[in-house]
Amino acid sequence: MEDIFESSLHLEETHFEEGYSDGYKHGLVIGKEEAQQVGLRVGFEAGEELGFYRGCIEVWNFAIRVDQTRFSDRIQKMIKQMEELVEKYPVFDPESESVQELMEALRLKFRAISATLGMKLEYNGYPKMGQDPKEMGF
Amino acid sequence: MELYEGGCELKLLETLEGHSDRVWSLAWNPVTAAAGTPLVFASCSGDKTVRIWENTPSHSASWTCKAVLEDTHTRTVRSCAWSPSGKLLATASFDATTAIWENVGGDYECVSTLEGHENEVKSVSWNASGTLLATCGRDKSVWIWELQPGNEFECVSVLQGHTQDVKMVQWHPSTDVLFSCSYDNTIKVWAGDDDDWQCVQTLGEPNSGHSSTVWALSFNASGDKMVTCSDDLTLKIWETDNIQMHSGDGYAPWRHLCTLTGYHDRSIFSVHWSSEGIIASGAADDAIRFFVENRDGLVDGPTYKLLLKKEKAHDMDINSIQWSSGEKRLLASASDDGTIKIWELASL
Repeated sequence: MEDIFESSLHLEETHFEEGYSDGYKHGLVIGKEEAQQVGLRVGFEAGEELGFYRGCIEVWNFAIRVDQTRFSDRIQKMIKQMEELVEKYPVFDPESESVQELMEALRLKFRAISATLGMKLEYNGYPKMGQDPKEMGF
Repeated sequence: MELYEGGCELKLLETLEGHSDRVWSLAWNPVTAAAGTPLVFASCSGDKTVRIWENTPSHSASWTCKAVLEDTHTRTVRSCAWSPSGKLLATASFDATTAIWENVGGDYECVSTLEGHENEVKSVSWNASGTLLATCGRDKSVWIWELQPGNEFECVSVLQGHTQDVKMVQWHPSTDVLFSCSYDNTIKVWAGDDDDWQCVQTLGEPNSGHSSTVWALSFNASGDKMVTCSDDLTLKIWETDNIQMHSGDGYAPWRHLCTLTGYHDRSIFSVHWSSEGIIASGAADDAIRFFVENRDGLVDGPTYKLLLKKEKAHDMDINSIQWSSGEKRLLASASDDGTIKIWELASL
């Protein structure tokens, strides 16, 4: 004979499982929304920074074409190297391991070129080089 | 060496005042004293200025301040270095810039400003040929610059690798290999092929390295040994294979030779190896110490012994100690007490 008290005996367990299941489903939805927001923001930031460097490179290349003698071989080589790094950046593969490395290499090259050109231009979007990424608050 | 047989003493020749804040560093002009011209050195301070001192030839114990380099740096000037030709002086400041000064008929003019570091620049060093300049700072990076015509500088490379504040950079005396030491307890060796500079060696705790901040490093005259000093209260001697280094293969690895422990009980901020082989150290206990190689009975290799200790050389921490390059065993020390003292290590 079926225990008619079965369900009431395991009431706590049942409620727990229901609640857990509800919460889990809810969490999946919210988590995905949040992740999309973060992804959007991080993607935007990376894109903005890359775009900034692309823009600088375009302007520099134009200036070189106008008057090549004003830019030393070393500077021209550095700009070329920076250009290669921008091309190499895996825009459609954010999970690639090289994104962090490439972005840091780009920032370094940019600083070296600006220092030599005597430019005080700074890109304001990213954390300062000396800053620990863990210290960055979102 | 015969000097030490009869003992020696450290004579105070003069105490120089003038800076209105702690004196951080000093540098002897490498060219003076060689050709019979008066000795010159530069000092830099928390008072944002750099002072040039000259020894008046008539009185060997008399030093005058010939110039004050001011109104340029907006914060503490932490380090200064003369180019090998003695014509240019580079000054590194907490204001994140490095200024280059040229002596134009007795007046010093700032002919160039190197920007790029994100914050305080801690040290500056010229290579042996005067073509390259290195700087380092709190932003953990080491920058290499190349001197161009017209006193312009081009950034050759920005080197990352240290994980903390880089305290000092120093070029090897005869090859273009750069050394840096840091708050991260390591010494890094950087070598470059064209413009491609890399860290070729890191001397850390696993290599018998220091266990705390490394403040300074100095090479012996032949460039096959180096001494480093640290917050860990020790001096460490390192050596390399000189022949391999000059063979053109670029770079030869460094290895720990020995550690001098038990001689200092406060941080050692400065160390300098004289051309004759005497190591001078300046520490936070206001004392100057001298060490020489111990020739009595080589055990597993050279060891070093304390030659002399001068307590209360200054009233406060000694930030820098530098031998002059000349005939006499002259050295200068700079302190938190705002003074610079000129000493002579003389035989008794």
